[in-house]
Amino acid sequence: MTVIEGNTLAARLLRLWPALLVLVLGACATQQAPAPVEEREIEERVRAPAREDSAGVQVYPLKNPAVAELTDQADRAEAAGNLDQAALLLERAMRIQPRDPELLQHMAEVQLQRGQYEQALSFATRSHDVGPRVGELCARNWRTMSVAQERLGRAPQAREALARADRCMVTRPTPL
Amino acid sequence: MSPSRKAGGKKKTGQTSRKKPTGAARKASKKTTGKGAASRKTLSRKKTARKGPARRAAGARRSLFSRLFRFGLLLAGLGIGLFLPWLLWLNHVVTSEFEGRKWDLPSRVYARPLELYEGLALTSDALEAELSAAGYRRLDRPDREGTWSGSGGRFEIFRRGFRFDDGLQEPLKLRVTLDGGQVTRLASPAGGGDLGLVRLDPAEIASIYPLHDEDRTLVSLEDVPDLLVTGLQAVEDRNFKHHFGVDPRGIARAAWANVRAGGTVQGGSTLTQQLVKNYYLSNEQTLPRKINEALMALLLEWHYDKAEILEAYLNEVFLGQQGNHAIHGFGRASQYYFGAPLDQLAAHQVALLVGMVKGASLYHPRRNPERALTRRNQVLESFAETGLLTAEQADSLQALPLDVIPEPGLAGNRYPAFVDLVRDQLQRDYREADLRSEGLRIFTTLAPAEQRAAERAVRDGMAELAERGLPPDLQAALVMADVDSGEVRALVGDRRPGARGFNRALNARRQVGSVIKPLVFLSALEYPERYSWLTRIEDEPITLRQADGTRWTPSNYDNRSHGEVTLLEALTRSYNQATVRLGMSVGVPTFIDKLQQLGVERDVPAVPSTLLGAVELTPLEVAQLYQPLAAGGFSVSLRAVTAVHTPDGKALKRYPLRLRPLERREAVAVLNYGLTRVVAEGTAQSLPSLLGQDVQLAGKTGTTNERRDSWFVGYTRNRVAVTWVGLDDNRPAGVTGSNAAMRVWARLFRQLSLDPVVLDMPEGAYWTWVEREGGVLSASDCAGAEQMPFVEGSAPTDRSACGRRNDEEESFWSKFFDSD
Repeated sequence: MTVIEGNTLAARLLRLWPALLVLVLGACATQQAPAPVEEREIEERVRAPAREDSAGVQVYPLKNPAVAELTDQADRAEAAGNLDQAALLLERAMRIQPRDPELLQHMAEVQLQRGQYEQALSFATRSHDVGPRVGELCARNWRTMSVAQERLGRAPQAREALARADRCMVTRPTPL
Repeated sequence: MSPSRKAGGKKKTGQTSRKKPTGAARKASKKTTGKGAASRKTLSRKKTARKGPARRAAGARRSLFSRLFRFGLLLAGLGIGLFLPWLLWLNHVVTSEFEGRKWDLPSRVYARPLELYEGLALTSDALEAELSAAGYRRLDRPDREGTWSGSGGRFEIFRRGFRFDDGLQEPLKLRVTLDGGQVTRLASPAGGGDLGLVRLDPAEIASIYPLHDEDRTLVSLEDVPDLLVTGLQAVEDRNFKHHFGVDPRGIARAAWANVRAGGTVQGGSTLTQQLVKNYYLSNEQTLPRKINEALMALLLEWHYDKAEILEAYLNEVFLGQQGNHAIHGFGRASQYYFGAPLDQLAAHQVALLVGMVKGASLYHPRRNPERALTRRNQVLESFAETGLLTAEQADSLQALPLDVIPEPGLAGNRYPAFVDLVRDQLQRDYREADLRSEGLRIFTTLAPAEQRAAERAVRDGMAELAERGLPPDLQAALVMADVDSGEVRALVGDRRPGARGFNRALNARRQVGSVIKPLVFLSALEYPERYSWLTRIEDEPITLRQADGTRWTPSNYDNRSHGEVTLLEALTRSYNQATVRLGMSVGVPTFIDKLQQLGVERDVPAVPSTLLGAVELTPLEVAQLYQPLAAGGFSVSLRAVTAVHTPDGKALKRYPLRLRPLERREAVAVLNYGLTRVVAEGTAQSLPSLLGQDVQLAGKTGTTNERRDSWFVGYTRNRVAVTWVGLDDNRPAGVTGSNAAMRVWARLFRQLSLDPVVLDMPEGAYWTWVEREGGVLSASDCAGAEQMPFVEGSAPTDRSACGRRNDEEESFWSKFFDSD
């Protein structure tokens, strides 16, 4: 059984976000539909920095080959710009491994590109909940949340999420 | 072009067929002009005729002759005056109906496709159930699509091609090896390489029929095997290509044959006449009707070409009856009798269908196999006679069996309760009329093998309860969904699972009793500064004033109060008094909010009695309530439909996975621990022995006042299921959560592979060692120590003596190892 000691007040505040967000959103009556996030931007703002920061702190779970086949197909669909197809394939993969943090994060990034920011937030949040909460994946979780929050017009939450991404690289003690 | 594409084409051809009438109208007007000219000729002849007798109206004989003549003329005039409008009317009927012809196509409902991969939990029994539901036939050598062979955990499957959401999937031969309840190898047969992932084509589980109950799958002429087109003519209408709708030579030949045989052995009707008969006319055999039929056949041939008429015929001809549904057309008949599309039929199968045209019930291959075989062989002879087959081919084909599949559960509606849910979900987006006529392809979440397990659980479970002395008219309902996706995998709405009618899973609103209690505890666990599982509360009588002024004093199930108990005990033992006290201190409105956050959509009265489940919900709603708990705080709407396609495979609508994270998911995770303790040590502790397995499960029993309702909700890592048992008229039934509903639940899960609940804590909660009795922190090697999860800030701060000692040791070591 994984026993990981959680984090403090900041964490709890973060969890209250959705409520705050609703308030913030409610305040801005006319929300413009934000532009979708392009793959390049995800690479620059989510994947690359997460990779860079996390040198040394890595968690690579074994991948189910069936899931790998579907995620490869999803990657190809994504590269070809067919994001709906990519989402469909990832959903299939999730029926096989619904709580694979890597898969959930992948879906979050696809949802970001599809302009489905609430869903991007949800999937990244779930990836973080079930994921290692340290290292590259953790950074990608928070960076995705940050970009999504930004597109949803919630600047403070976006900044906060970015700060959380930096903390993914702090090694924590594992309780016995 | 596949039949379904064609059907789509039909719909799209709104344009083509709208264009067509103009062409046809032109033709028609040309024709009317022609006819106009002809009638003018007749009229002018009439005029001269009328003048003739007028001039010579003198003598008596002549006058008699003239009177007769005039009478004759009157008759002719009447004849023309009535016949012409009649002909015009028939013409109108023929053209307008044929032009506007758009067959209502039933919607097809598919189960979720089975995805095979190494490591998938799957028994041979379940795989066979899936294959059988998908209409796969067992053969010694699976040499055609839709067939399989297998024994001892080794299966060879010839998968059909199928158009999915994410593209067309080609047919594929594969070998599946099962061992120890899971797929251990997936490969191409005959030494082929490993396959990573294979998706079978989904079972067709139901059709939503047009109101007139005609079932058909459209085919277009180019999809139809040549042998069917030529063979049909060979048997039914050899002169089809050349006649004008009626075939005097054919009639003569038939008459001669009938005279020789001394009875009706041949009909002289052309295919066109048969189509007319099917299409426009009733079934009576009267002379006027025969005349109408002939006239309309002539008109049809006048307006349309042979290909159009033949295609209409192929889709219209009656080829059998399945329950209430009339099977029209060769496309559907092929599916119904052979479980395969038309273009995959062998010659002897084509011959059978052609033979059935003469009498679909008389030559029904399942009901009258011998007559059907004789008829088929006659047809094969005709094929040989006309040179469509060689005599040798016909001979060897005649030796073959009928090769029909057993009455399929395919087209019928084997899962009426689940399909109710499909309709409910679709009715938000589609009109009933469209579902019945547009030939939609509806992709659902039903898992046939799990549905079968659920049906068995209900059927056998209810029989068992009756044996145990519970009322024999007890009713039951069951809902099972995938935890993370919310996809409904099985649903039963009646103790006789195939029964139509009142669907209790969707529509029986019943008091839920204690299954609501976990929400009281969840609300409390969200206040870590006040509550943890070790917090003590009083299980003592409490009297509350209700909204209507009456007093309410809940008692416990065992009619005792238990003094000071921990929250954990109050939940696992389902103590009413402690729960009400806890709920009152958290606040009823907070609790109601929680219900609504978790997906209860109806208004729930904000009164204390709701804390004990004095609220009516359907089994489906209860399943919805527990899904987010089972999924660690990520709520999804329970879904039965994932996508709807047009007949030609375009996605009209998708219902994708949409997650909604709850707030305070750490409290949900901690609550889940409590629900596993209900099974391990509480009111559901007999569950592991009923299951015959001791894996970590979570669940909650529910019983209502005077034992009217029995509920059980339980979940593994990947399945959440609700069972309900009670009487329809709400009389006391002598049931409790654990004596009825839980038994049905256990019967279901006993048939499934159990994935234990995983209690990993998210951020904001953690596991630690405690000593339950003292309510203090402890350490791993202390007596009475156990691990328990806590929301941050809720764990006890005091340590047991043993725990303190260990703590010091830990601090000693932690000096050497990094710690923040």
